[in-house]
Amino acid sequence: MDRVNLKINGQPIQARAGQSLLAVARDNGIDIPTLCHLDGLSGVGACRLCLVEVAGVGRLLPACTTPVQHDMDVRTDSPRLARYRRMILELLFSERNHVCAVCVSNGHCDLQAMAQSQGMTHVRFPYLYPPLKVDASHRRYVLDHNRCILCTRCVRVCAEVEGAHMWDVMSRGVHSRLVAELNQPWGDSQVCTSCGKCVAVCPTGALAEKGRAVGEMQKPPLHLTDLALLRGGLS
Amino acid sequence: MRIEDFSTFNQVKESGLARLQPARPRLAVGMGTCGSGNGAERVYLALREQIDQRGVDADLRRTGCFGFCAQEPLVNVWIPGRPLVILKRVDPRDVPRILDALLNDDVPRDLALCRIEDWDHITSRLQYGRGWNDIPLWNEVPFFKGQKKLVLRDCGIIDPEEIEEYIAIGGYQALYKVLIDANPDAVIEQLKASKLRGRGGAGYLTGTKWEFLKRAAADRKYIICNADEGDPGAYMNRNEIESDPHALIEGMAIGGYVMGAAEGILYVRAEYPLAVRRLHRAIEQAREYGLLGRNILGRGFDFDLHLVEGAGAFVCGEETALIASLEGRAGRPRPRPPFPAQQGLWGKPTNINNVETWYNVPVIVLRGPAWFSEIGSPKSAGTKVFSLVGKVRNTGLVEMPLGTPLKTFVYDVGEGTGNGKAVKAVQTGGPSGGCIPQEMFDTPVDYESLAQIGSIMGSGGMVVMDEDNCMVDVARYFIEFTHSESCGKCVPCRVGLEHALRILNNVSQGAAATTDLEMLDELGRMIRDTSLCGLGQTAPNPVLTTLRHFMEEYTDHIRGHRCPAGVCEHLALSPCENSCPLHMNIPRFLQLLKEERLEDAFESVILDNPLPASTGRVCQHPCDNRCRRVSLDQAVNMRDVHRHIADSILFSDGFDAMAERLVARRLEPTGKRAAVVGAGPTGLTCAFYLALLGHDVTVYDSNPLPGGMLRYALPEYRLPKQVLDREVELIRRLGVNFVGNVRVGDDLSLNQLDDQFDSVFISIGTWKEAWVYLAGTELKGVIPALPFLEAVARDSHVALGRRVIVIGGGNAAIDSARTALRMGSEVTVVYRRERRDMPAIPEEIAAAEAEGVRFVFLAAPHRILGDPQGNVKAIEVVKTELGEFDRSGRRTPILTDEIYRFECDSVVLAVGERVDLDFAKASGLKIKESGTIEIDRYTMETSRRKFYAGGDVVTGASNVSNAMAYGKQAAAVIDQFLTGERRFDRIFRAFNYSKLPPEPVDTPRHHLAELPPQARVRGFEEVMLGLSRADAVAETHRCLRCDIKEVSPV
Amino acid sequence: MNRKIRIATSWLDGCSGCHMSFLDIDERLLTVLDKFEIVYGPLVDAKQVPEGIDVALVEGAVSNQDDLELIQQLRARSSLLISLGDCAVTSNVPAMRNPHPLGKILERVYIENAQADQQIPANGVPPLLRHARPLHEVVKVDLHIPGCPPAPDLIFHCIAELLAGRTPNLETRARFG
Repeated sequence: MDRVNLKINGQPIQARAGQSLLAVARDNGIDIPTLCHLDGLSGVGACRLCLVEVAGVGRLLPACTTPVQHDMDVRTDSPRLARYRRMILELLFSERNHVCAVCVSNGHCDLQAMAQSQGMTHVRFPYLYPPLKVDASHRRYVLDHNRCILCTRCVRVCAEVEGAHMWDVMSRGVHSRLVAELNQPWGDSQVCTSCGKCVAVCPTGALAEKGRAVGEMQKPPLHLTDLALLRGGLS
Repeated sequence: MRIEDFSTFNQVKESGLARLQPARPRLAVGMGTCGSGNGAERVYLALREQIDQRGVDADLRRTGCFGFCAQEPLVNVWIPGRPLVILKRVDPRDVPRILDALLNDDVPRDLALCRIEDWDHITSRLQYGRGWNDIPLWNEVPFFKGQKKLVLRDCGIIDPEEIEEYIAIGGYQALYKVLIDANPDAVIEQLKASKLRGRGGAGYLTGTKWEFLKRAAADRKYIICNADEGDPGAYMNRNEIESDPHALIEGMAIGGYVMGAAEGILYVRAEYPLAVRRLHRAIEQAREYGLLGRNILGRGFDFDLHLVEGAGAFVCGEETALIASLEGRAGRPRPRPPFPAQQGLWGKPTNINNVETWYNVPVIVLRGPAWFSEIGSPKSAGTKVFSLVGKVRNTGLVEMPLGTPLKTFVYDVGEGTGNGKAVKAVQTGGPSGGCIPQEMFDTPVDYESLAQIGSIMGSGGMVVMDEDNCMVDVARYFIEFTHSESCGKCVPCRVGLEHALRILNNVSQGAAATTDLEMLDELGRMIRDTSLCGLGQTAPNPVLTTLRHFMEEYTDHIRGHRCPAGVCEHLALSPCENSCPLHMNIPRFLQLLKEERLEDAFESVILDNPLPASTGRVCQHPCDNRCRRVSLDQAVNMRDVHRHIADSILFSDGFDAMAERLVARRLEPTGKRAAVVGAGPTGLTCAFYLALLGHDVTVYDSNPLPGGMLRYALPEYRLPKQVLDREVELIRRLGVNFVGNVRVGDDLSLNQLDDQFDSVFISIGTWKEAWVYLAGTELKGVIPALPFLEAVARDSHVALGRRVIVIGGGNAAIDSARTALRMGSEVTVVYRRERRDMPAIPEEIAAAEAEGVRFVFLAAPHRILGDPQGNVKAIEVVKTELGEFDRSGRRTPILTDEIYRFECDSVVLAVGERVDLDFAKASGLKIKESGTIEIDRYTMETSRRKFYAGGDVVTGASNVSNAMAYGKQAAAVIDQFLTGERRFDRIFRAFNYSKLPPEPVDTPRHHLAELPPQARVRGFEEVMLGLSRADAVAETHRCLRCDIKEVSPV
Repeated sequence: MNRKIRIATSWLDGCSGCHMSFLDIDERLLTVLDKFEIVYGPLVDAKQVPEGIDVALVEGAVSNQDDLELIQQLRARSSLLISLGDCAVTSNVPAMRNPHPLGKILERVYIENAQADQQIPANGVPPLLRHARPLHEVVKVDLHIPGCPPAPDLIFHCIAELLAGRTPNLETRARFG
């Protein structure tokens, strides 16, 4: 296996060729925030929280999909990055109706935790307040579009691990929305195996098990192999 | 006929040449989408029909587009032995005389755009005949001058649907050569050496990109042509494909061979049906001739092309989104790496190049990299096609060497706006390019230079904007576009553009705060730096560049609640109101007069404009230029109607009653004392409103009587003093106290004003003549314009002599000339530019000419000569010629060596005036370098508390209405300062009048009656006699009522 | 500084939970009580917003006309204005009505779902604004303390910091919900 030497935040680090910057950073105890990445699923680089600065490269690079290279000099925590990350979180909070206080995932939500860890204490943009529906047609699970951040973890886990590809995203721009099959109620899906993988990987309260009250929806971090074996939900 | 050897190839070539240059005349109609849209189909059919009917011995063909959109439809006419002539703006009705001429071995000269004696197809040269030198050569026409047609080498010359014509001009020769040489690496080396860069906008080195794919090991590889041209206003790819599809096929076939791909895909947007159809036909023909498919040209190379129509998502221009779309998935980009050359279509190594990149390939193969890289700039070799659109006289497709300065595009190729308005900016690179201000037009158009100033090359859109474009609206429009085209995958682009659009919408509605602009800037930078693909990374460019270069326009919207260009509808009542410096509610007074409510009409007028009779005579009337009626016939004569309304009351028995009515509108006395320094139009206006607001107002002036320039500079024949006297009387009735013969600084210090008053407004005029370096100005008989006009106004004796020369082109020059004429002199006005560049009101210039003033244009004073007694004897002037455009949109005069002389007895210098600010020294008032008082543009505050300033004293010499606008605005802010409340709106009243759209009438504009020129010059009697009541009312019926934006159902 | 810090608290559209949390600081309040006085709010008797407030802690979203006037008055009379809790910071639960048209909501509540006296109240209640809004969309806010409610410790930390003349740094200490 080829070895690659690089620096992250000034710290010399050795990595395996082909590893992503994100994986290498995490192996070395350096936290890079991300909401869309999940080990074992393909990288999409959609949330843009894991952007890092690489010396000599004009653009910011997503750590999740950038492979390490020799002599890379990476910064993961510049003031500019901190500013941008906070702003991205503000955009996410302003986009839909994230009311933490009454969310099933309150206290167990990646988005909520990310706002805290990135020091985002308020949203400077006006909230968009889109009128969004809740799809409770599935027997055991519920989809609340109000909480969805379009990270597509559910889309990928369903397609890549479960092999069902029931979820996808329709429309474009700010009108993008998660859809079951070709936009039908989740409960009517012929493809859904009700395995619960999507619920398990959802970082927010958008996908949850029915019957959970505020703060009751915990999604323990699952290893890919556990995830692959998941059948019939978390409980 | 399959081509498998040289002899067949040459046979085909010969037969193609026989089509291109037959033994009889050949006519070819330019039938790209643009030509067809301009009526080329009808021209073609008319030609077909009449050639057949009359049995004319001539070929009729279709061709693509020669690029000069503004002159479409174009028809090529070639008579053997003659040059190829391109006819412009051909109408079916022109067909008989075109054929008549043809039969006489001629072309109609009035239709001839240009002639071509020989044409460089780059891949070969084609000779036509010589002669007809009265028709300009194609590259002598300004639009084509400097153009280098590499990509467009065949466009508009050959028939795009005939492969043989393409082969005739050297087509497919490069492919043949590459196949025979059988050395793909050499081709890549050639491409690298040529420094050809991707023409889709990113500018990546094509040779390097090809090498990636060539080196990639895989059982299958793909090459793709990106023809998903989606920029609004950009259509070069469409035109290239429509006019010369085979060059694209040849480029791709070479690419397929060199990179080792057996399959190529053309991704063309479905909105280009003609391009799709011609490409389909070209592919079929190429297969038929053995140029696509198996064993191409008998060289054992297999390659084929497929055409896929894109559904029109802008983001599919991004290569990874395009690939997703080809695979049948939603067109959303993905992060790179892996790059398409590693994992592209169906996971296989893939190369994607823009249409134009492919067009350059055969050229480089045939002419060599050295020849190619000599064109353009060192880092950006070759040419680029741009679609030059917007506010330029010559719109069309322009192919220029890279590195050509922007100004060449705008002023030489485009020939400026063509309407006398100043070009303000150019937007390059489509919806995600930046706006480049006029000051930066020296910027060379290449990848690096554009990126450096916040714009991009993009695929080559170039939109020219003039003063009628609102830069906030431009930014808003483009963000609206990218916002609706964002795929929604990454957060910054999906949500960030939504917020950017909301902020911009608020700005254009006057509902934003200045802090929103800081947020917009920060948001824009964030979207640019963090978005996943090129769409998001470039989408903020229009915002960031307009914020950088046109901040004033943003703050005008936010703080001034005004859209200077009159584009943002929420901020304007109507185009006329928006253009009026005083924001008179013009539709309202027109309607009130129409309803025969003269008193109400007067009240409406005077509340908006305290000097309606004076401005009714001397205003520059910007409203005329904005009136939408122009699109029907001529503008509504708004100025003369309000003059009529004003005169009707001021000189009637109703005057006292109206004065009472106004006095009754005055707010309760506030006990505040307000001083106004300078009783010119600005000061009078401010005093009028401050008095209405209930303050105790005193106006000081150095002259004995109020009126300023209106009284002492404007000649009696334009503005009779009794008109001004009535207006001043009305202001006096409101309680304003006028103190004459007091010069502030000498007779009364600023500190005294400060002690005695609660607020001070400074509105003195530009009475000091601008310093001008000219030998002989010390001679007797040289007099600056304002002192001259003032002396005449005061009835002082001025001896001018028989021959008078006036230097200058503004209103003061014309006023001086007409005054001198009335004093019995012969007058010549000398101006350094052309007539249309004169800042004076056009009607005044025309009147002066009618009265007998002579004009000498393009001449600048050189020196004034005197006799031994020190009297003026003659003046020498230098002939000028016009050079580059300056910020005002006019060409700068340049001195030549040619000097000529006029004998004269006096010279009036009307070359500009400035403010005498001696009194303001050490006063705590900040003075700008331009010699004016510095104020906040919106609050009119000077650097000294309590002191406000406005009018010429802050702008330099301007015009009456602009100056009055300052007085009006100052009254509002001074009142707020004095009372702590916003009370300005309280002095106005509502009027109840019809808000229904009028029945249109087709009466032409009513003009004023005027004294005949012979009668005028005998004295100072007023020249322009007012409208009659009947005419004024009839004129009001012409108003289209743009102020009515919606009609509620009854 | 010898003068006592003048603190105002206020409660707009919210549940009073933030005030409860404030009181849950419990006996620790006594340790700093000599340094400040509460001059306005639900915890004291003052009926009018006094001038010269040093710190205003405001809970709740701006939902109606009265909220709007009150917050503007508080802003004008306070040196430092703090949004206390999610409703003030994000408009939170009160904003859950925002995606829906106001008329429809009122109709649903006061007519469709009313047992008796089916009418939309008009007299004696302040008119609702189209949206319930966070404070900083209406006035300038100097510090945001998110939380539903913010923990007593967090509120105490802020007060202690302010009394010590420091600007509290809440980054990573506070969370929504």
